[in-house]
Amino acid sequence: MAVGTHGGRASGLDGLAQVANKIRDAVESVVEGKPHAVRLALTVLLSEGHLLIEDVPGVGKTMLAKALARSIDCSVRRVQFTPDLLPSDITGVSAYNQELREFEFKPGPVFANLLVGDEINRASPKTQSALLECMEERQVTVDGTSYRLERPFMVVATQNPVEMEGTYPLPEAQRDRFTARISMGYPDPAAELEMLDVHGRSSPLDRLAPVADAADVRALVEVVRDQHVAPAVRQYVIDLVTATRNHPELRLGASPRATLHLVRAARAYAALDDRDYVLPDDVQDLAVPVLAHRLLPTAEAQVERRRPEHVVTELVHRLPVPSPRQ
Amino acid sequence: MRIRLTVMAGLATLAGAVGLYPLFAGRAWFWAGLGAVLSVAAGGLVARRFRVPAALNAVAGLLALLLYLTVVHASGEALLGVVPTAGSLQRLATLAGEGWDAANNYAAPVPLVPGIMLLAAAGIGLVALLVDLLAVRLRRTAPAGLPLLAMYSVPAAVREDSVSWAAFAVGALGFLALLMTDAREQVGGWGRVVFTPRWSDGVPLAGAAEEDGTDGAGGSGGRRERPDVGALAASGRRIGMAAVAVAVLLPMAIPGVQPRGLFGLGGGGGGGGGSQTVTTPDPLVSLKRELTRPDDAVVLTYRTDARERPDYLRLYALDRFDGDRWSYYSLQSTAKDRLTDRELPPPPGLGPVRTQRVTTRVKVSRQVRNMTFLPVPYAPARVSIKGDWRVDEASRMVYSLRDSAGGRSYTVTSLQAMPTAQQLAAGVGYPVDVLRRYTALPRTVPPEVTKLAHDITSGALSAHRKAVLLQRWFTRDGGFTYDLSAPPPQRGNDLTGFLLRDKRGYCEQFAAAMALMARVLNIPARVAMGYTPGTQTSPGVWTVRSRDAHAWPELYFEGTGWVRFEPTPAGAAGQGTAVTPPYSEPASDPVTSRGEQTPSAPTPSASSSASAGPGTAAQRGLDQPDPGTGADGAEEEDGGVPTGWIAGTVLVLALLAAPMVARVLTRRRRWAAVPPPGSQVAGGRGDGDGPGGDGPSPASAGGTGAAHAAHAAWREMRSDALDHGLAWRSSDTPRATVRQLAQVLEPDAETAQALGRIARAEEMARYSPVPADAPPEALRADVRRVREAFAASVSRPARLRARLLPPSTVASTRSATREALHEAAVRVAAVTGRARQVRERVAERVRDRLPGGR
Repeated sequence: MAVGTHGGRASGLDGLAQVANKIRDAVESVVEGKPHAVRLALTVLLSEGHLLIEDVPGVGKTMLAKALARSIDCSVRRVQFTPDLLPSDITGVSAYNQELREFEFKPGPVFANLLVGDEINRASPKTQSALLECMEERQVTVDGTSYRLERPFMVVATQNPVEMEGTYPLPEAQRDRFTARISMGYPDPAAELEMLDVHGRSSPLDRLAPVADAADVRALVEVVRDQHVAPAVRQYVIDLVTATRNHPELRLGASPRATLHLVRAARAYAALDDRDYVLPDDVQDLAVPVLAHRLLPTAEAQVERRRPEHVVTELVHRLPVPSPRQ
Repeated sequence: MRIRLTVMAGLATLAGAVGLYPLFAGRAWFWAGLGAVLSVAAGGLVARRFRVPAALNAVAGLLALLLYLTVVHASGEALLGVVPTAGSLQRLATLAGEGWDAANNYAAPVPLVPGIMLLAAAGIGLVALLVDLLAVRLRRTAPAGLPLLAMYSVPAAVREDSVSWAAFAVGALGFLALLMTDAREQVGGWGRVVFTPRWSDGVPLAGAAEEDGTDGAGGSGGRRERPDVGALAASGRRIGMAAVAVAVLLPMAIPGVQPRGLFGLGGGGGGGGGSQTVTTPDPLVSLKRELTRPDDAVVLTYRTDARERPDYLRLYALDRFDGDRWSYYSLQSTAKDRLTDRELPPPPGLGPVRTQRVTTRVKVSRQVRNMTFLPVPYAPARVSIKGDWRVDEASRMVYSLRDSAGGRSYTVTSLQAMPTAQQLAAGVGYPVDVLRRYTALPRTVPPEVTKLAHDITSGALSAHRKAVLLQRWFTRDGGFTYDLSAPPPQRGNDLTGFLLRDKRGYCEQFAAAMALMARVLNIPARVAMGYTPGTQTSPGVWTVRSRDAHAWPELYFEGTGWVRFEPTPAGAAGQGTAVTPPYSEPASDPVTSRGEQTPSAPTPSASSSASAGPGTAAQRGLDQPDPGTGADGAEEEDGGVPTGWIAGTVLVLALLAAPMVARVLTRRRRWAAVPPPGSQVAGGRGDGDGPGGDGPSPASAGGTGAAHAAHAAWREMRSDALDHGLAWRSSDTPRATVRQLAQVLEPDAETAQALGRIARAEEMARYSPVPADAPPEALRADVRRVREAFAASVSRPARLRARLLPPSTVASTRSATREALHEAAVRVAAVTGRARQVRERVAERVRDRLPGGR
């Protein structure tokens, strides 16, 4: 149940910052030493996107996803992706109801506000693509009937790096549907030490109480949508995206959807900073998480071990920020 | 040590020095300059070998230059012939003084006396020093063009006909080569180009030999190692050549700009007899010297078909009186003024009086130097002479911008007016422009002179009568004595003194005083300078010697034009070969309409050759200018202004100060453009402020003032940062920039806050719907505080450079140039595209019109 403090619906930027800070504090009490990852996760949540967390096993990917889910009082489902998982295990099935003598739709785990998909790249491509429609259209179509998903709806998927054994890399189309990909990274020694203290006794996840509910999040999303994006910033985003398309080291550049996601995420990011307008700084901070996972390096770049992250970082350092003429 | 760059800097200086050729007679100056450049380069190399600071680098260059000058010019006084001593320095100073005098006394080209050689070597050496310092030591190659330009602009300022295009091209190519060498070294400094496999065609990354001197065209091996440099250099060469070609060819296609008004002939010709003398004040200066020359050299001989005594040979018409001396208005010379053997229009004002055409064949003595004005009998109607000679139609002066008359032969056909006294007396009234121009007098004319003029001519009604009375007063009634030992008039006071007190002088005083008084009486007048007819040596052949130089007044009468008067006493007690024209005699004399009378002393032939004779008049440009005779030349030069040198200095100073001034002006303009707080800018300028309309939306009109202030503050801070050599990346957002700056500056709390305020204001002005409402004064104070922090964070030289040579102005100039070039390229492309369309359309039409066979 929602905690009483958010009884009055959060409205406007101040309310947003308040609620967002609470969620952030809650998540950070579980995931120590990763403020940036937490902030990015919140950003994706407020920009109505989906989050892909990629890292080696055991650094707290699932923990972050769970903490986020737990701190918001909303319906949360968790799916452990395995090679034998079927699409219907995600979306739901139509089963024949003997009594009613008709097919009845049994909603799958996707009918939740937050879907935590663990190790999504262990599932077969078929199952992975079953998520496609859900993520983009926010609806499920089974046997010709479409069912709308709830709002907010966010998929938080974790995956191991593709080099690991027993994984199927996500297809480009699916990767493009994730607003951002973040990686956790190892905690620094101090944070790890503290983790030992805290986690030694009991899981902090168990003690986590929700600090906001779905309606709160919906209101926050509305606030984020009204954020001001100056034409110069839009132009900057376009420049950045175009540069990835023309880059000699990239086989596939960013899609128009990426542009959209980048602007949306920047709005949320600015709002989390208690600002009602977007800065190029926001775009720069978000460029790698939002763009890098959609880009495909050329074979030559791969040989040189150039990763898309490097290319995006380089572009950010190279592209001039729009400024008034001298 | 940067040997290659050092060599290029020296070559660029030498190439620039080529443009100095019009200043000197002979070529030896170039070798002197070469020596100076070599020694400066050697000094610079040694200094860089020991990695001394830039200031010591300059000192080393100066020392090398001094050593060179000592060895060449003062080795006798120096220790071991090399080490400067007080004596050798004294000697150098003396030489420099002589050179200075010579430069002031003689027209360009000046003779290469040792002093001039010294000055030339020192000047070129100093330019080489600056270029070396800027381009090699400080690696500021572009500003190194300033001293080169300054050097180039000296002859351009001094000589109207300027420097030939070839010299310009050589100088420009030298500078471009220097720029290119520098750019190559900078590109080379980035190391070899590393290829991604995508671009590479198998160039080995490792093991490419370090070949510093590899030229782009140095074979395939070299090109493979530094392919980018080679390609860049090739296109750089192409661009450079094209730029020089355009610079040379373009002026031929467009009407020329005449720089005359500034450095033109108005300054007057000097002792050298040239028209565009660097420094000598006016044609009259050398008069005294010529008149007192011990050797009475032959200036010219001529054969004339005049039936009686030939007329005077005139060089100059001095039509401008500035209160002190007579000179001429600047001549606007264009190619249209060339003689090219054409018939000139009738002289100004000539009416229906009797005239005779006189043909005079003149041969000027070979010894005459720098005579760039031709002695011709008034009024020349046709002049045949080789070379680029031009005529000023109003004054009928014949001159050349380049050539000297020395040793030349030429033929003049002149139209000699032969008015009677009655005809002159009948001329009433003057055209307005003549009256305005030739009766102009400064207010400083003393009232005594005015009174005197009126007293002398009281009772006379016609202008002619007044002129006759004036002349008679000078020659007869006034009690004047012809005296060559009188000092030449320098100031207006001298003339007054001559008229009222001394009454001693020579033709210059007489002519100047009479012309002055004629102007006082509203008779258009000017002072002519040239030669008397000289002495007849055989029938029809006359010889003019240096002491036949003369000055006389010319007065204008309606219906006749300009006629000559002769106030100088003639004969044994005056100008020996002077002749008084008949019409200028008092009417009581029986006047014949032709012929002349030599009133007091006839037989000029006897006196003209007498060395102790009663003097002759001025003449210009005869014989070698000799510094020894510059004694009175030196005193004369006080009156004149060394225009060329001053102009050159001013130009150099202006060029040096330009970046600083531009920076200050930019700052002022930026803040001035900020509307006062609270005011609303009409027209929504805030909207169009940024590229692609990145300014805040016009809806927030109330904030546009604040946005302006924020932008101004930001740009100011950017310029300041650039000026102080701090990094400023265009890919950094305002807060990233400020973060960066804070890391470099390690500012105190207040400065850090100021930085933050500026960044925040700019950020909001750019990207927020409502700009921050920081008051402009506060922002300005913040910017000032930050600037001080900048200044405190850098070394003293950097600080000085930020003040004197702020790079931000250079950068903005560069970007403006780039934009202009881009625009030009787009236009050219558009025009050529249109031309192609037109051509195709025409071709199509032609095809259509063809018989239908095809």
